[in-house]
Amino acid sequence: MLASYPPALMAFFGDVMTMNTPQGYFGVYYASYMPLIVGIFVCSAAAGLLAGDEERGTLDLALAHPVGRTALFWGRWLALMVATGLILLLAWLGWAVTLPFTDFDVSAVNLLLGYLPMWAMLGLFGALALLLSMVLPSARLAATTAGALLVGNWLLSGLAALNDNLQLALDLTPWALFQGGEAIVALAWGPLLALKGSAVALLALAWWLFLRRDIRVGGERSWSLRGLRRA
Amino acid sequence: MATQPALSIHGLTKAYGNVAALRGVDLEVGRGELFGFLGPNGAGKTTTIRCLLDLIRPDGGQARVLGLDPRADAVAVRARVGYLPGELSIEPNQTAERALRYFAQLRGGVEWAFVRELAGRLQLDLRAPIKNMSKGNKQKVGVVQALMARPELLLLDEPTSGLDPLMQQEVYRLLGEAQAGGATVFFSSHIISEVEAIAERVAIIRDGRIAETLDPHDLLRRSVRRVRVRLREPLPEGALVGVLNATDIQRDGANLLVQVEGEMDALIKALAAYPVIDLETERPTLEEVFLTHYVEN
Ligand SMILES: Nc1ncnc2c1ncn2[C@@H]1O[C@H](COP(=O)(O)OP(=O)(O)OP(=O)(O)O)[C@@H](O)[C@H]1O
Ligand SMILES: [Mg+2]
Repeated sequence: MLASYPPALMAFFGDVMTMNTPQGYFGVYYASYMPLIVGIFVCSAAAGLLAGDEERGTLDLALAHPVGRTALFWGRWLALMVATGLILLLAWLGWAVTLPFTDFDVSAVNLLLGYLPMWAMLGLFGALALLLSMVLPSARLAATTAGALLVGNWLLSGLAALNDNLQLALDLTPWALFQGGEAIVALAWGPLLALKGSAVALLALAWWLFLRRDIRVGGERSWSLRGLRRA
Repeated sequence: MATQPALSIHGLTKAYGNVAALRGVDLEVGRGELFGFLGPNGAGKTTTIRCLLDLIRPDGGQARVLGLDPRADAVAVRARVGYLPGELSIEPNQTAERALRYFAQLRGGVEWAFVRELAGRLQLDLRAPIKNMSKGNKQKVGVVQALMARPELLLLDEPTSGLDPLMQQEVYRLLGEAQAGGATVFFSSHIISEVEAIAERVAIIRDGRIAETLDPHDLLRRSVRRVRVRLREPLPEGALVGVLNATDIQRDGANLLVQVEGEMDALIKALAAYPVIDLETERPTLEEVFLTHYVEN
């Protein structure tokens, strides 16, 4: 199906020449769509992780119990990352069981390693959504903003193959650190750790903001500079 | 070792943007007291209580809960306090039992037989989904949740709001029993009669400051009530002269409107000489008490 696309479009989807290799196939079908589709889920879940409960008013009573804000923050983040990991694990499982029936020469373990950059990428955009939910007035707005940045970055990664200037722009975005299909052949730990590190930095900031936040009894915040400063 | 007071608050201030909600709250509540926190809408009751649980952060002043700093020892404070929010929201897609089991788990377990007893006394069906519950029934879940762990201190923000009079009475009894069991009960309200009925001491908050702390019977003594009297025939001129605490007499034929301060006895005795068809007393709202008492002084 992909083979019938015009070359420019093919370039958008990945390197055509590598389509018949495992990493090319993985790159096209998984490393480009999966981060986008799962990413949108992660952005909305992360933005609602705390701010969603706050807007529904349930955070008030939950935090009146002997649960620290730090424990709540990291506990929920961990749960989200485990859930995301499980989704990727299911995708991997689907691949791993069909692997023997293909002539791709890649082990199931290497394939699993190929999901690590994706997981790190999802973590980064999730962290961004969570941070935005601590700064912007509503969880909805935070999810939309983070989601839009993700989609924008994804589009840019596709278009960059067509234009050198766009490639330069892409190099400044997280996607530049994202190793697509090649990860199943030779996982690059450097960019992976850089993605993880940036996610941790965003999370630390979000955590710090959550610690000094006034918990609302419901409803969205309003736009106000004072509100942002107090956040 | 002298026990620390249950609550000790000094100069607490809190603003939301440019709205000053608390302008220096000072309050001291001893262990084992049943304490009423009375104030009209927007006075700062909810804001004060939420500061005590570190849900919001005061801008200035100091608060100690059971001797602990709510900010530095948030988890320790919350482990010893039962809280009923004034604006209660519980995840709607679950039964009352599941919600309560979840809260119990956060507290490291509670005695479930006690939960059943509380639910029974409040006529709360634990198997009902929260989302199908009326406001009053949700409030009951909140009350059970606050009481079930038998905490040392109860911080209850308008505990009887949304409950019918019978259930209100049951909640008053439960608070009394909690106190008898050694707990300190601190509850907010804007209904004078409720505070009068159960509290041993009352603090009145208004515009973010404690106007005064007093014995609830003094509230009655000083509160002004309106008495509407319907007589068979108009009262003779000067009939109520000398009834010292009755003022502001309006006459409309055989109908009288009298304002009485303090005890009713003198008025009743004066009226006894005339044929009374009907007599109605109206309790003033809290805001009216403030207007008459605090504005005049
Ligand atoms: N999140 C908020 N943002 C802005 N103003 C607020 C907020 N919460 C409370 N206020 C204001 O702070 C003041 C005190 O509010 P608070 O909720 O403490 O009053 P209250 O005594 O509990 O009133 P009520 O009897 O209506 O519950 C009010 O003027 C209120 O409008
Ligand atoms: Mg209130």
